[in-house]
Amino acid sequence: MKWKAFLPYAGLMFMALAVGVLASYLTFGSRPVERPHTDALLLHEARPLPDFSLTDTGGGAFTRAQLMGHWSLLYFGYTHCPDACPTTLAALDRMMRLLDKLPAARRPHVYFISVDPKRDDPKLLKTYAAYFNPGFIGLTGPLPNLKALTGPLGADFSYGKPDKKGDYAVIHSTMVVLVDPEAAETALFTPPLDPKRMAADYANIVRYYGEQQS
Amino acid sequence: MRRLLPLLALSTCLLAPAAFADGPSTRVSHVWIRQAPPGVDVMAGYFTLENLTARPLDLTGVISPDFGSVMMHQSVVKDGQESMVEVPKITLPAHGSVEFKPGGYHLMLMDPKKNLYAGDMVSLTLTFSDGSQLAILAYVRRDAPTG
Repeated sequence: MKWKAFLPYAGLMFMALAVGVLASYLTFGSRPVERPHTDALLLHEARPLPDFSLTDTGGGAFTRAQLMGHWSLLYFGYTHCPDACPTTLAALDRMMRLLDKLPAARRPHVYFISVDPKRDDPKLLKTYAAYFNPGFIGLTGPLPNLKALTGPLGADFSYGKPDKKGDYAVIHSTMVVLVDPEAAETALFTPPLDPKRMAADYANIVRYYGEQQS
Repeated sequence: MRRLLPLLALSTCLLAPAAFADGPSTRVSHVWIRQAPPGVDVMAGYFTLENLTARPLDLTGVISPDFGSVMMHQSVVKDGQESMVEVPKITLPAHGSVEFKPGGYHLMLMDPKKNLYAGDMVSLTLTFSDGSQLAILAYVRRDAPTG
């Protein structure tokens, strides 16, 4: 009987098919957890921040290493900013109050980074940041040090023409940058900032990050 | 004097439109001024302005006895960068309105005559292209009114 000679081949083909089905099942099974849908722009892949060196309001150095081990929100502005900066910082304060229920270790640190070091001395920066939320941290630094961070983040800034009194506006980025505990840029919040939406996005992104790690 | 202020403002409100037989040409609502953080001498003012007439009307200037200077500004976002532009006049369409709100048009109030805190009242006078004026009172607030 000739067909019997084909039996081993048929068996092999069946096994190959079974292996294929199993492999694809395993692939799907180990697929990373689903990315959350967010208003925030969640980067496809987190981008490690460059090395930088800024100054905190106590005069100490603040580097990339200080962003390790916790979530961070970075916002670049200046204290003589009447509209955008207070609006953003007030939104961040409302967002933080919505995140009160999270364990402290999972709540983000909020950094207000002044790109106007000429006018924003550490003392002013400290009271300014704390005015919006006692936990907010002010940072600044010499221009090249600031640019080392803002450049790679796409958060460039420049200065407007001074008026008669020497006052000038600062052209600065509107985004709030979410940085993960490995000091990598993870997501961007852009105006209009809705504190409720931001808090929900943040919680989802943190959960997603945790699921990926486990 | 402080207690008289609202009365004064009210009387100005009543007097200004009196020049026009057909009633006031503008109406303002949602007025507030953002309290400045300590050490900062510039504040932003917001309101909604309605043109009650059948003709377009320009808001040509704002003055306040409580500040050294007042300018109309617009926050403009281009390529994710925010800058502020001074606006010499703002046109209110016929029977239309314009909103001064965070991230858009706002009054830039500089050099307050004294420290202003939430609950304090500031008086503003708006001038329009038809020569009319509108006196308004604005409360200083820590943050935007919600709802």
